[in-house]
Amino acid sequence: MMDFKFARRVWGICYKDIKVYYMKGPIVLMGVIFPLFLWIAFYAGRGFGVREGIPSLLIMTLFFTSSSVTPVIPPWETRQKTLEMLLTRPVTITTVLAGDMAASTLFGLIFSIPPVVIGMLMGAFPNNPAYLVGMILLTSLGFSAMGMIFSALPTDIPADVILLANTIKLPLIFVSGVLIPLDKMPSWAMPIALVSPLTYPADFFKWLYFGGYFDMGLDASITVIMVLILMLVAVKLHRRTIFSRLQR
Amino acid sequence: MNAIEARELKKSFNGVAAVNGVSFSVREGEVFGFLGPNGAGKTTTIRMLVGLLKPDGGKAFIMGYDVIKNPIEARELIGVVPEESNPYPDLSAWDNLRLVGMLYALPGKEIRERGMSLLKLLGIEEVKDRKVRGFSKGMKQKLLIAMALIGGPRVLFLDEPTSGLDVFSVRKIHELISELSREGVTVFLTTHNVEEAGAICDRVAIIDKGRIVAMGSPDELKIKTGGYLYLSVVFDREVGGDVKEILGDYEFKLGGRKLLVVCKEPGEVIGRIVDYARAKGLKIERVRTSEPSMAEVFMRIVGAK
Ligand SMILES: Nc1ncnc2c1ncn2[C@@H]1O[C@H](COP(=O)(O)OP(=O)(O)O)[C@@H](O)[C@H]1O
Ligand SMILES: [Mg+2]
Repeated sequence: MMDFKFARRVWGICYKDIKVYYMKGPIVLMGVIFPLFLWIAFYAGRGFGVREGIPSLLIMTLFFTSSSVTPVIPPWETRQKTLEMLLTRPVTITTVLAGDMAASTLFGLIFSIPPVVIGMLMGAFPNNPAYLVGMILLTSLGFSAMGMIFSALPTDIPADVILLANTIKLPLIFVSGVLIPLDKMPSWAMPIALVSPLTYPADFFKWLYFGGYFDMGLDASITVIMVLILMLVAVKLHRRTIFSRLQR
Repeated sequence: MNAIEARELKKSFNGVAAVNGVSFSVREGEVFGFLGPNGAGKTTTIRMLVGLLKPDGGKAFIMGYDVIKNPIEARELIGVVPEESNPYPDLSAWDNLRLVGMLYALPGKEIRERGMSLLKLLGIEEVKDRKVRGFSKGMKQKLLIAMALIGGPRVLFLDEPTSGLDVFSVRKIHELISELSREGVTVFLTTHNVEEAGAICDRVAIIDKGRIVAMGSPDELKIKTGGYLYLSVVFDREVGGDVKEILGDYEFKLGGRKLLVVCKEPGEVIGRIVDYARAKGLKIERVRTSEPSMAEVFMRIVGAK
C-alpha cells in the first residue's frame, strides 16, 4: 500500500487541506492565541523561568494546533458532500485520513516554530535539537490522530465533534503534567496522567530544556507506541462508520 | 466481460425499500440509461454501483471488480458525476481538477495537459482560476464532468447530468456522451427525462419504486424521439374493452376513461376513434398527441395510475 500511488493520493488530499483549512484565520487564532493565553495565565507571577515555561508552551501549542482541524474535516466534508466526491475516486477512507493527518501534522510542525524560537531568543536552548524536532513531529502526528478519533462519530455537524473533542482535550491539559508538574499533582490524577498521550511527550520536552519526571528513553518509547495506537484506532473507527456517515 | 454488472441490489432506508432487487448488465462501450421518476431509486442504485453505499443485499461489479471488496481497482476505472454538485467551493476550478488528478495518481504533466484540454472542451477554461463558490449550476456541472474525465475512465457514471441546465449546456453534454461512447467508454446515466433517454441511450431500464419495470432499446421501449407518438384520448365515461377491435395491431392501454395509443401516424388512429365514439354514443373530452412523457410511458408499461 505504501507505494507511489498511495503517496501521490495522500499528498493531493494534504495539499487540499492546507489550501482549504489552514489559510483561515480562526484556526490560526485557536492554535496560537489560545495556548499562549492559557500559558500566560498560568505562569504569570509564579516566578518560573523560561526554561521551565517553554516545554509547556510548546506542547500546548502542538496540542491545540494538531488536534484542532482533524475533528472538523470529516463532518464538515460530509455535509459539504466533498467527502463523497473524494470517495468516488480511487481512494479509501484510509487514504483520506492519511492525507488529513499529514496536513494536520505539518500544521503542528509550523506552529511549533514560534515557541521554540521565542525560547531561544530568551536564552532557553534545547540540549538536543535533533531530539526536539523528532519529538515535535511524532507528537504532532499523534495529536492529529487523536483529533481524528473524535471525528469518527458519523455526524455531519462539526460542532458535535468539537464539543466532544474539547470535553476530553481541555481537562487533559491539567492532568498530564503540562501546567501542573507531575510531582505536584493530586494522587487521584496520577492514573489519568499515566494513560494521557500528553504526559510522555511533555515530559520528554522538559528533559530537553531542564529536567523531567520519568526517563527520556521511556518517554520516547511510550510516545511511539501511543502514536501508533491512536492512528490505528482512528483508522479502525472511521472504517467502521464510513458507510453510515455517507448514508447521512 | 460486462463493464457494469448489478446483481439483485437491495437497499432500504428506515425499513422502506429504495432499491428492491435490481439486476442488469451493461456491455463495454454501451450508453445505458436509467429512466424513472423522482424517488424511483436511481441515485441509490448509482451510489451502490460506485461503492458509496453498502447494499443490504446483492453485488455490484465494475469490469469484473467487486466494488465493495476491491474499491480501489474498481474506482481506478470509473468517473462519477454525482447528482448534487460537490467540488470544493473554497478551491478554484483548477485546484479541484488537479486534486482529482492526483487522486487518480496521475503525474503533474499529465494533469496539466489533460486538465487544460478538458476545460477547453467543456468551455470553462477562462474561469479556471476562480473559486467554485461563485459558479453557476451549469459551470459547476461542467467542472464535475471534467473532474470525472481527468482519470481517463473506462466507465462513466452520470446522475441526472442535464437536469436544470440550459439547452446549450444540455446539447454540449449530449454530444460529449456520444463522443465518449464512440471512443469506447461505457456510459451509465440516470434521467427522469424520457426524451433524453430515447435520444442518447443504446439501452434503457425503466425503474419505478425500486424495481426495473422494463428494459430494452429505445426502439423496443417505443421511447425513441421522432419515431413513436403517444396519442391520449379522454372520454366522458368509461370505455369498454371492445375498443380493441377498432385499434387492430396498435399497442394501446386502457385505463377507465383514458385511452393511450402508441402510433406513428396519429391522424389515422384518431379517425377510427371518432368513429368508435360516435357508434357508442361516447363524447371525446380531450385529445392530445405528445412525444413520450414519463406519465405516458408509465401508463403504457406499468398500467394506468
Ligand atoms: N439517505 C437516505 N435516507 C433515507 N431515505 C433515502 C436516502 N436516500 C434515498 N432515500 C429514499 O429512497 C428513495 C429513492 O431515492 P433516490 O435513489 O434518491 O431516487 P431518485 O434518484 O430516483 O430520485 C426515495 O424515497 C428517497 O426518499
Ligand atoms: Mg436522484
